[in-house]
This record gives sequence, structure tokens and C-alpha cells, in this order.
Amino acid sequence: MMSKQRVENLMLVVVVITATGLASGQTHKEFRFTVHPGSNLAVANPYGPISVKSAAGNTVVVNAILHSDKVEVDQIQHGNRIDINSHLLPGADADSGQVEYEVLVPADASVSMRTSTGPLKAEKMRGDLTLEGTTASVDVHDVMNAHVHVKTLSGPVVLTNIKGGHVDVTSVSGDVTLNTVTGPNVQVSSSSGKIIYNGDFGIGGDYSLTSHTGDIEATAPPQASIDVVAQSAKGTVDSDFSLEPRHTSFTTKVGSTFAGTMNKALSLVKLNSFSGKIHLRKAPKPAY
Amino acid sequence: MATARKLQGGELSESEAIERAKQGDGDAFETLYDLHKRRVYSLCLRMTANAAEAEDLTQEAFLQLFRKIGTFRGESAFSTWLHRMAVNVVLMRLRKKNLPVVPLDDPLETEEESSKKEPGAPDPKLTGSVDRMQIQRAVDALPPGYRTIFVLHDVEGYEHNEIAELVGCSIGNSKSQLHKARMKLRDLLKTSRAEKAETR
Amino acid sequence: MTCREFQEILPEIIDGGQTFEQEMHWKSCQECSSLVADLTLISKQATMLRASDTPSPRVWNSIEITLRQEGLIRAGGELAVVPASGRRWSLRWLVPLTAAFLISFGVADYYMASRQQTPTEVAGMDRPVTVANPMDADDSQLLEAVGANAPAMRATYEANLKDVNAFIRDAEDSAKNNPGDEEAQQLLMEAYAQKNMIYEMAMDRSLR
Repeated sequence: MMSKQRVENLMLVVVVITATGLASGQTHKEFRFTVHPGSNLAVANPYGPISVKSAAGNTVVVNAILHSDKVEVDQIQHGNRIDINSHLLPGADADSGQVEYEVLVPADASVSMRTSTGPLKAEKMRGDLTLEGTTASVDVHDVMNAHVHVKTLSGPVVLTNIKGGHVDVTSVSGDVTLNTVTGPNVQVSSSSGKIIYNGDFGIGGDYSLTSHTGDIEATAPPQASIDVVAQSAKGTVDSDFSLEPRHTSFTTKVGSTFAGTMNKALSLVKLNSFSGKIHLRKAPKPAY
Repeated sequence: MATARKLQGGELSESEAIERAKQGDGDAFETLYDLHKRRVYSLCLRMTANAAEAEDLTQEAFLQLFRKIGTFRGESAFSTWLHRMAVNVVLMRLRKKNLPVVPLDDPLETEEESSKKEPGAPDPKLTGSVDRMQIQRAVDALPPGYRTIFVLHDVEGYEHNEIAELVGCSIGNSKSQLHKARMKLRDLLKTSRAEKAETR
Repeated sequence: MTCREFQEILPEIIDGGQTFEQEMHWKSCQECSSLVADLTLISKQATMLRASDTPSPRVWNSIEITLRQEGLIRAGGELAVVPASGRRWSLRWLVPLTAAFLISFGVADYYMASRQQTPTEVAGMDRPVTVANPMDADDSQLLEAVGANAPAMRATYEANLKDVNAFIRDAEDSAKNNPGDEEAQQLLMEAYAQKNMIYEMAMDRSLR
């Protein structure tokens, strides 16, 4: 609780520097920011993990462990927007320039995270998320009614229990796994990375899973309500389901294809690969 | 003599780059730029506290240098020559904007203004380390005149006689203004820490 | 000596040259000792600000353009083949930047044109498929720049660029051979978009 009256938009920062419990040369820093609803946080960290979780209250808490004195944390707040940057000093490399971030934010905060090495983690959020990594693994779960954008070159991506927003994943060679991911618009694009979808495709969404050589494997329960088109120019396509013919026109395409509907065909699903194998699997019945 | 620094990996040394730049070698110009860009840009940034302006001034400083590179004879270190040019470019910009390059002695302004201590009570020390961001923010918050002297002396290492020549003041004035700049920074840093402590 | 007297002459003596009396005062007086310690700390820490920031690439780009316009960079000193060192990444950034723009423009233009035209027209359309081919030189320059800024990431970028280039080649062939196939066109757009993403990520890192 503040001991003095402040104007409504006053933002305060507290820095705590401790050295206990850390490896030699490491420093722990903590930054706190007071924000209003709908805040924005951007963390850019060339080397090291970034983990973001929601917490109650109106405070953004950034805990940073700096691996050496060759890196600093630049932090600045403009109103409801906070920028955190790991500033590499001359002589810093991937080891000495590493910073480990753990961040607590209000659930409705929009968060952007960028790193080369990562990993990147976000959970229990209701604000938009943008995650970008070069080799960083990406792990996002429990996000409701918010957009999730992921870009990676070779880091594996796992999204779990993401509902109600747009999901947009672009990976070149990293595998992408979606577990119970539904929303009005779900797009996954990969070059050689594998794309795995486990879920029922929700109700009334557009799903597009596209790859160059990566295999595409979608596992859905029998009650999934989908209008599906699958095509692979040079690879094989397979479906465990017997699909009803589509009501819209469908021309025969080169390569392997299948198309059809299940139940009320509420969600549109496009599975498209150049030479990867496409398989629409039937999910096993649950044990209970 | 120009510094004959050998770069890593067998690339152009500074003296080689200077000679080649005189012949119109684009790579040589770029080598010289890469060698000194941080120092020049940081100087401009500290003195103006504005990134966009600092970039413009950096560009101007290097262009002035490169236009005159044919006249460089190696009487002093190349970096010194460049640095002086950068300082002059910045000071000219400040003068054009009618910003005080060196503050006049202002009897109304005292360093005790912001440190409201009780008579007789010891002034708490600025304990612990001052990190780069803290001091950078404090320097950015200094009035332009104080900032100039502080940056030239404490950041860039100019002596008072050099500062006096650059900015057109006496050595005594340079010392006095530097002291006031440091006192002001002390107040700014203490105030900042006190504000943070109060939020706990 | 009083504190007031000491603090009056402090500007003259703080950087050295104090008398014995002055030195005895500040060593024995808590207030003056604290003041001297603080001012000395500030002075020492100030050097952290020296050469601590880097200008954006646009500064060198502007300088180089001006030098060329003024004839200070002469024909013999033209920027030639990209040096292996990778230290220099001047106007090169304009090239991958242009490449990224061309890719984005090519994607948008290709998509808009193909949506408006019949399959027959699409087949004969002057598609920007050749955009991908001249990128090879730009890819090399991008990798040089990545190598200069983040050497540990160079191999990753190189492997992924090869991956995406193969994607673009296959997608172009497929679209060319199947002019009416929307899915083939969609694949081609995805391929371009991936290439664009790689360039954006690489440039983003270095422009910071």
C-alpha cells in the first residue's frame, strides 16, 4: 500500500538486487510496475528463457537473473506499456549475455516475447500473446478469448487448451503440436516441421494446417463437426473416418486428396501439404 | 601518429583504413565508422538525451570527418580528432537551439534546493551501486548546460582546460558547473531511490 | 575548517590536490565524507555511459549514400563482393530489405491477381515467381549480417533458409503446373510468407 497520495497515472518501479543463492557472477533483479487494465508488456531477450504467467492484481512483476555483468536489463514504462530489453554489452556472447525472465502480469495484459534461444512459456492468460523465437521452444497453455501469434524457425511449438481467439503459428522446421486448440481462426504453417492437431476443431471455426514436407496428423473424436479438405501433391493422405460428400463443389486435384463432412460440418478444416503425409485420425474413446 | 590498431581477423587497421579512405575506398570508410560509431553516438546521445537527434548528429560528425580526411596528417590520434569534431557538432546544434551550453552561475539555484534535510541531521549516503540505467536516466534529466559539462568531463574524460576551450568558458567555471552537475545528479539519484522505497 | 568552508572549495579539490587540513576535515566529518563519497561514485560510474549505445544501421546507410553522391567513395572503392568476415553490413541491409519487400509485394500481387483472373489468365500471367531466384545472393548477405550480429544463430538461419527456398521452388513448380489449383497457390503464398518471416526476424535482431 502506498503511503502517499499519487496522481492516477503514476507508475512506480522498485529494483531489488540480491546475490544470495545465485551462481558466481549472476545477479537477480526485480522490477515492479503498476498498470491499468489492458496493459502491454514487451520482453526482448536475445539469450535466455522468458516465462509469463497471470497473477491477481494490477502489478507487473519482472524477475530477471542476469548471468554476468556483460548484460543489463533496460526497463521503461510509458503509461500502460512496459518495455523490457536485455541490453548486451561489448564482449557478451550466448552464455554471458543470458538473462532468465519470470514475469507475472494481470491476466488481461497483452504480451510480446522475443528471444533467439528461449524457451518461451505463457500460461493462464486472457490477453493477446505474440511469441517469437529462432531456436526457442514455445509452450503456451490455458489461454482464453485471446489471439496467439507464434513465429519460430526451428523451435518446437506446443499450444494446449487455447480457446476462443485467433491462433497463428508459423514455423520453418520446428514441429507444431496443438492440443485442444479451438477458435474462429486457427492457422498453422510449417515447412519441414511436423504439424499435430489433437482436438475436436470446435464449433464454427476456420482451420488451416499447411506444410511443405512436414507430415500433418490431425486426431479428432467422432463427434467432431467438420468440413474437411486434405491434399498432398506428392505425399499420401489418409482418413480414419468415413466422410459424407461435401455439398460445395470439389474438383479433382493432382496428387492425393480426400474431402468430406462429419456431423453438421460447422468448422472448415484444410489440410494441405506439398509432400508430407496427411492423416486424419479417429481419437480413441476415453476410458471414462 | 595515427593509431595503428590491428583488427581481429587480419582486417584493415585504422591507419590502413585512413589511407585507403583518402583514396575513396568505401570499405575503408565503413571500417572507420564501425571502429568509432559507438563512442560518437553515445556522446551525442548523452549530450542531447534524444536518440533521433543523436543519430543525426552522429551522421553529421562522421560526414564532416570524412570530408576532411584528406587533410588528416596523423599529428594526433584519429579518434581524438573525430571526437572533437563530434563535440563541436553537438555544441553547435545546442547553440542553434539557444540551449545553454554552459549554465551561467545562478545565485538562485542552490544544490540544497531538493535535498530537504533537517538542520544538523546527516545526509544519507548514496549507498550501494548505481547501475547504468539509473545514472543514464539521471543524466538525461539534467538541464542541458550541466549535462554538457558532466558528459564531457566525467563520461568522456575531457580535462577542464579542454572543456573551457571547447565550450568557451573559464576553467574555474567548468569546475564549478561540473560540481553542480554532480550535486544535481546526487539529488536526482537519491530522490529516485526514495520514491522507489516508498512504494514498498 | 567548517563544513561550509570545505564544501565551498570542494569543486577545486575533489579531483585531487587537497591540503592536509582539508583532507582531515572530510575524513573526520560524516556529512562531508558522505558527500565526497557520493560525488566520487557518480563520477566513476559515469564512464559506464561511454560508448554504451549503438546507432541504427540507417546512420551508416545515410552516410554512405552521401559519400557516394559527393564522390568521396570512388568507382575503384565500390562495395564489391561481400567479404567473408561478415563485419560489414552496410548497404547490404537495403538488399534483403528490398527482398523482403519484394517477397511481400510478390505475395500480395500474386494473390490479388490470381483471385481476379481466370485459370487461363493465371497460367499466362507474369507471376513474380522469379522473385525467389535472385534471393540467393541476398540470402548470402543476410547470413553474413546474421553471422556478424549473432554468430551462434548463423547455422540455424542457413538451414532454415535452405528449407524455405526448397519450399518456394516446389510451390512454384506446383503452381506453374496447376494454374487453376487454389491450394497450390496457397502453398506458394505460405512459402513466400515463411521466407519473409525469416528476413523479418533476422533484420529485427540486428536493427535493435
